[in-house]
Amino acid sequence: MIGIIGKLIARRLLTAVPILIAVSALLFCVLRVLPVDPAAMSLPPTATLAEIEAKRHEMGLDKPLPEQYFIWLTDALHGDFGPSIQYRRDSGSLVAATLPATIQLATAAMVLAAILGVGGGLLMFRVRGTPMEPVIDFASILLLSIPEFLWGLILLFVFGVLLHVLPFTGQVAPGLPLPRITGFLLFDSLLVGRFDIFFSAAQHLILPAVALGLAFSPTIMRVLRSSLFDVYHEDYIQQARLRGLSEGHILVRHAFKNASLPTLTLAGVQFGILFSGTLLVEVIYSYPGMGNLMVDAVRNADLPLIQAIGLTYCIIVLIINTVVDGLYVVLNPKLRVG
Amino acid sequence: MSALARSLRSPRVLIALVMILCILGCAIFAGQISPNDPGDQNLLSILIPPAWAKSGDPAFRLGTDSLGRDVLSRLIYGARTAMLVAFFASLGAMIIGTVLAHISGYFGGTVDWIIGRLVDVWMSFPPVILSLILMVGLGVGLDRVILAIILVDWTRFCRVLRSEVLIVTRHDYVAAARLLGFTHWQAIIREVLPATLPLLITLMSLEMAIAVIVEAILSFVGLGVGADQPAWGQMIADARQYVYQSPWNLLLPALAIFFTVTAFNLLGDGLRRTLDVRLSESGR
Repeated sequence: MIGIIGKLIARRLLTAVPILIAVSALLFCVLRVLPVDPAAMSLPPTATLAEIEAKRHEMGLDKPLPEQYFIWLTDALHGDFGPSIQYRRDSGSLVAATLPATIQLATAAMVLAAILGVGGGLLMFRVRGTPMEPVIDFASILLLSIPEFLWGLILLFVFGVLLHVLPFTGQVAPGLPLPRITGFLLFDSLLVGRFDIFFSAAQHLILPAVALGLAFSPTIMRVLRSSLFDVYHEDYIQQARLRGLSEGHILVRHAFKNASLPTLTLAGVQFGILFSGTLLVEVIYSYPGMGNLMVDAVRNADLPLIQAIGLTYCIIVLIINTVVDGLYVVLNPKLRVG
Repeated sequence: MSALARSLRSPRVLIALVMILCILGCAIFAGQISPNDPGDQNLLSILIPPAWAKSGDPAFRLGTDSLGRDVLSRLIYGARTAMLVAFFASLGAMIIGTVLAHISGYFGGTVDWIIGRLVDVWMSFPPVILSLILMVGLGVGLDRVILAIILVDWTRFCRVLRSEVLIVTRHDYVAAARLLGFTHWQAIIREVLPATLPLLITLMSLEMAIAVIVEAILSFVGLGVGADQPAWGQMIADARQYVYQSPWNLLLPALAIFFTVTAFNLLGDGLRRTLDVRLSESGR
């Protein structure tokens, strides 16, 4: 099985490389159409035209576009995305500093979305044919119509402003030190043995993670329900009934096991989208992740930083897709041969 | 057409259409029904609560925002922005996606491969990120928002429709049309396209919901239709700082977005059921 997964990852990588090159070229072109001059932006406003021209030459902006792209790509492959115009620091290190917080948020949200989605999907399937079905179905459409940033605002309003039960700004209570070992705050605070930081960070994670998780659970619910419907047409379900197994047992042990595969494929696609959904939730909760950095960079037309972050999002989406494919092989015995 | 007429009897479709007509009415007659000018700043009466609250002012039925602008009027004009974006963005995305899907699915081979890889590249960008990057390149404005959504979301149509076209193309009646002397284009337009129409209409309705959300997101981040045009996302962004003083300013536009998105999602779901469309949830 490990061999198959290895082959699969190798095949994925082979397709990922051209995609990444195309994506980065696309990014580069879109951002070069801008009427913004990075050279003028990185100099004080008092700079003369000759100074700007010299800076343009120094930054290589007077070279033809394909050559500029090639230079940027070579540097990027060495991990150098160029200095951010606004922070005057290497863009790569800025991304690396904020990425763990975003991964932490996205993972927590995905776990929540999976729990809510599977629970809701089983419930939706269980009530099929009863008068409850249209009610639950309608509720799922309502749920589907609340995007993550609306959930973010609603939760912030109810739990932060009205009830004052949960904090809603930042990653941890102000005044607490931020231990930096791996960058994952929950993990780092445990490593240094500061449980107060851990609890504060966990508390700050609740609202953003729930907002994201709630927004992505209805799709999982609906896919699980429709895959369960497909599975229930199979003979082995009838067979299980004839053997006298209880409906609950059939649902969980026989139907769910098989229906979980298409759901997993979708959840993988969803995780990619969820990862970019962190952007708005981070903005709403002033959570110091990559999304906030992106919005900052976009507002200030900080081209090197936008390129670095955009590419990071793409790489993460590709990694998630690969991992999901691998999981699919692990969970689906039919794919293990050959 | 009989299938479309049948879908009108579905309660989902009916409820959704009534909801959409309400919003559309607001959007079209914004000038007539809104009590005040949405851009009029009234710095003497800022952050007034809705009229039913204790210190409310009947002149501003839903209160005013931080610049003293009438919230109700801004909501109504925001509907115009949202509907314009929903209609034109999904129409544009539908046209590009449908044309490419039909070419790809009907002809197959190299064209199919190229379009498929193009979709792959597009899909490896999370949609929010791609639209943000495009907005940096395009600049703010209503037309730019529409263009950005078209450029991001054509893949939704292309991906889902292509597999449908593949199935339809294999039917005998398409081959028969070719034998009758139809050119490829005639065969696509007269035989294949009508068969994919139910799926296309359903997708279009779902895309309108997505377009409303994306417009709200872009306006919320400050890269949307521009400051002079009222938009729900922008109202939310403005109200965020004053959430303690006037929570209504935050909740009302949020409710408007929810109402509109629900209407389109409900319509899409109703159409999917009545038109008997094979649309998996992952196609969303």
